[in-house]
Amino acid sequence: MYVVIAGAGRLGSVLAKKLREDNHQVCLIDRNENLCNQLASEMSNIMLICGDATYPEILKEAKIEKADVCVSAASNDEDNTIICYLAKELFGVKRTVARVNDPKHIPLYKYMEVDNPIDSTSIIARIVEEEASFTDVMSLFSIKKGRLSIVRVDIPEASPVANKAVKDITLPQNSVLVSVLRGPDIIIPYGSTVILPGDEVIAATLIDVEKDLVKALIGKI
Amino acid sequence: MKHIVIIGSGKTGRELALELSGDANVVVVDKSLKNLDILGDDFNGKKIWADALDINTLEKAGVKDADAVYVITGNDNLNLVVGKVTKRKYGTKKVILQVNDTMKKKIFKEEGLTIVNRTYLIVEVLRKCIA
Repeated sequence: MYVVIAGAGRLGSVLAKKLREDNHQVCLIDRNENLCNQLASEMSNIMLICGDATYPEILKEAKIEKADVCVSAASNDEDNTIICYLAKELFGVKRTVARVNDPKHIPLYKYMEVDNPIDSTSIIARIVEEEASFTDVMSLFSIKKGRLSIVRVDIPEASPVANKAVKDITLPQNSVLVSVLRGPDIIIPYGSTVILPGDEVIAATLIDVEKDLVKALIGKI
Repeated sequence: MKHIVIIGSGKTGRELALELSGDANVVVVDKSLKNLDILGDDFNGKKIWADALDINTLEKAGVKDADAVYVITGNDNLNLVVGKVTKRKYGTKKVILQVNDTMKKKIFKEEGLTIVNRTYLIVEVLRKCIA
């Protein structure tokens, strides 16, 4: 794939390195000359352009019309929306991804038809909240914009499912147990598998029944 | 009375606001309090101290029912985004933007946006001087 990344701050440059490791072609654009010089000495095999990516001539220099994806990772939302808009409208780039700096600006991305606005602030806030809270539940990851999530639940002594076989457990619809982690063992559960206190259960669930699933496994939320 | 929204209270915004507020309801939006202060005591319209990239601000300023919205901050990209969103989401009749880059003016000249460019204006005036 050929990926053009506008904004070579931490996010942009880390992403560029990762994509290079996976053998993608990468072009990185930033208007900060010092940063560009520094990156040029650190990175090899990456095309670097020092310029303002909100100007069409700079995007043209990056050969953005050949890009499979345009990622806009600048630190302000007006630039990100304009870059993605130009990439799409002027150069026909099929997929545009942007970092949202302020969650209040999400509607702008919608009206400017950015394909994937990534609200990093809210994502990080959610992770921090999970890590900081004392619940025995952790969202491992989610797909389809968070509609399906994979969760890890620690089974306490008082759990309503402790010492029960999977076939005797009632779970909410649209959720399923994927595996049971017991010490070093990974168990793929069958009807006869018995859940023990101290087990870590991995489950897949639609987001709207996640609370019910946790309730069924822990007994409280 | 006409309802006019002016986003950006710089030199242009201030003059325009004072000029129009005599016979229209004028709302001025700026994210800097200092910029709103320069409107002075003669300004009898409404001031909103907020971020224009937040659509709640646009709603508070009443862009939906405005007779005209001027987006004239010093930031071309902000002007373009706010102008386009105002037109697309609220269908405001007259949306006037200040865009100083001549290339961008050409690209965004569509969807009923009026784009004013300082360089073009001055060139026009200078040309007329010898006409």
